[in-house]
Amino acid sequence: MSFYHIPRRSALLAMALALAVPTLGAAQDDPKMGGTLKISHSTRIATLNVLSLSGPAEYPVIDMAYSGLTRIGPDSQPMPDLAASWEGSPDATEFTFHLREGVTFHDGTPATASDVVATYEAILNPDIPASAASVLNMIDTVEAIDDLTVKFSLKTPFADFPTSTAHANARIMSEEALAGDHALLDTVVNGTGPFKMESYDSARITRLVRNDDYFIEGKPHLDAVEMHLFPDLAAETTNFLSGDIDVMLLVQQADYERISSAPGINALRVPSGRYVNVVMRFDQEPFDDLRVREALAYAIDRQLLVDLVLEGLGRPAHDNILSPEFKFRIDTPEKSYDPERAKALLAEAGHPDGLKLDLVASNRPAIRAQVAIAIKQMALPAGFDINVETMPHDTYLANVWRKGGFYMAYWGMQPTEDATFNLLLTSNASYEDTGWMNAEFDALVQAGRSTTIESERADAYTKAQELMLAELPYIIAFYEDVLTASKEHVQGYTLNPINRYFYLENVWLDE
Amino acid sequence: MPKAFRTAAGMTGLGLLLLVMGAATLGPLLAPYDPQAFHPAARLQGPSAAHWLGTDQFGRDLLSRLLNGAPSTVFFGLGATLLGVGAGSMIGVIAGTAGGWIDSVIMRILDGLLAVPELLFTLLIVTFLGGGMGQAMLAVAIAFTPGMARIARSSVLSIRTREYVLAAVARGERSPYIVLREVLPNAVGPIIVEATIRVAFAIMIGATLGFLGLGAQPPSTEWGLMVAEARQFMFRNAWTVAVPGVAIAMAAMGFNLFGDALRDSLDPRRSS
Repeated sequence: MSFYHIPRRSALLAMALALAVPTLGAAQDDPKMGGTLKISHSTRIATLNVLSLSGPAEYPVIDMAYSGLTRIGPDSQPMPDLAASWEGSPDATEFTFHLREGVTFHDGTPATASDVVATYEAILNPDIPASAASVLNMIDTVEAIDDLTVKFSLKTPFADFPTSTAHANARIMSEEALAGDHALLDTVVNGTGPFKMESYDSARITRLVRNDDYFIEGKPHLDAVEMHLFPDLAAETTNFLSGDIDVMLLVQQADYERISSAPGINALRVPSGRYVNVVMRFDQEPFDDLRVREALAYAIDRQLLVDLVLEGLGRPAHDNILSPEFKFRIDTPEKSYDPERAKALLAEAGHPDGLKLDLVASNRPAIRAQVAIAIKQMALPAGFDINVETMPHDTYLANVWRKGGFYMAYWGMQPTEDATFNLLLTSNASYEDTGWMNAEFDALVQAGRSTTIESERADAYTKAQELMLAELPYIIAFYEDVLTASKEHVQGYTLNPINRYFYLENVWLDE
Repeated sequence: MPKAFRTAAGMTGLGLLLLVMGAATLGPLLAPYDPQAFHPAARLQGPSAAHWLGTDQFGRDLLSRLLNGAPSTVFFGLGATLLGVGAGSMIGVIAGTAGGWIDSVIMRILDGLLAVPELLFTLLIVTFLGGGMGQAMLAVAIAFTPGMARIARSSVLSIRTREYVLAAVARGERSPYIVLREVLPNAVGPIIVEATIRVAFAIMIGATLGFLGLGAQPPSTEWGLMVAEARQFMFRNAWTVAVPGVAIAMAAMGFNLFGDALRDSLDPRRSS
């Protein structure tokens, strides 16, 4: 038997330690119990259906109310959650999880192996929309050995399986809730997490209160957590700076300096693999020609984009979908801004007089249009005459996303190489939108998934990245830092770069 | 110059109007820089010799953007008003001329629509039509229609019983002739005055929609959108918000004061 949650990403570990620093000052004190933590966010909580939700204000709520089998820790490694421990077979095709004893859902019913089985069967059911399906589709069978033991058999070996079970949309729901009307899952919350739902208002305040029966002794420290939702970023910032909001979950780049220099506030900046990417479909002209894609890649000044759009709060990227946080990420050749070279490539591709193109950007969040407008200007000297077409997000989702030939997308960081590739780039990826459909790439990603031998995985993922960089399915110009801020009396608040796990059970108020 | 324009308010209105219309017609030609060009070394700066009104977050020249956005901003106000006035006048004249149950039905429907505030009505229509400059313009026009119809109708009613109209009826002229040649030319005064004042509202509603992301879309230099885009940077360079904001206020005030003066000069009780 071998264990698969060995700390391995030293870079991330160092980062997590750095993150802990703002809270270390008072860490010697014992956490104080009680108090209400007020968190703000600028988007709605549209649904609380764990299986399908995807909103940035929705994840913190289910992170508080539910537990997964495993969870991604601040060090980006899988940590125990509902499962106290787990083991995998040496060939990584079978995984057994041992659940904690005596855990109950918020309604008092015991949480057992049958709930885990019901949750995973729902995720894998093709008739139920489930965001976690694409990273868990290697599961062949899931069975309850006894009340506290669940065994997964996989179709193919998969060493990172305990990371996949930590997927934010794979939190364990009760068998009873899943057997009932799924429309109720939008509003009714019954989890095993540190906080339970008291009141849910999708657009104003959603309040959760302490779960006295939480399975970790002495946690949570807080009596309650309130999510205050603001329809407007400026109002949210003003309220955080002058009002009684304790944590501003997501700070905009433009406000970061002002907020971080305000007295009594700890601002946190976490390097992340979040990115804005330019989608250029392989099955539509003119991007079916690699030289056109390359031309655009050389027509973008990546450092300038970081400075202008991110206010310097990010790192230039050179089209690798994997940021430096990923273990198997290769050293990626830098592409310098070279309009002449871009022009030559365009001419070679049969466009000596340049190219006229429409680039679509959704208006939400604003960063998509900002990057598009910047690209338009940068690519001008290279012969690209780009017309930026900004549209409402709903129109974009209905008409352009995964259909259009040239548009701006925006994605958060995934926990593993496999999850990243299977989200977007493999032929059967959850949100495949390039039309790349490269069998060799699919095979390499499969190979990386199917072996536990580190060198073989490194080899497969190296080749997959080299192929991706050569074929250039996306232009990825930067990795965006995740920014958050809290008042000084908030202790124990940390943030993971994946931005799906918030560890609010550790937070306490030093008032 | 009519007496009404010789007041301080009248002069200010006329001056602002000339300034705004000048910018709307010649602005893009006068812009010192390409309004979309980045000047990364000079981002978020206040006024200087190089950039008279300062620069935005991309280092784009605010004066150039302002001048470039003038035509679309003013065109939006004029276009929406013209459409709304056209449709409203037609409906009002029909109702006023036809009288009877046709008048009653039309006016009760319009009264119902008038109960909804114009901005809310516009937002409602934009929700149905979708965002964008054209849709927003149409929405404002539709929102303006009931009010304009009411003014046109009352104007027609006061004229319908005048002697020259009765004379035309006695001559045996057909209805369209009477409406177009006798009624409309004499009813047009109040409509023009109302339309001028409404241009100011149309510009403000257009800017509001642009600000809310429902009107013009980036990288357009429409003024409301300029305010929206700059809002995040307000604390770092207030000029980014103040420049388009003041411009919108000037345009709205210009049309409003001009409209007031126009009304006064056409009002027989005041001009005597």
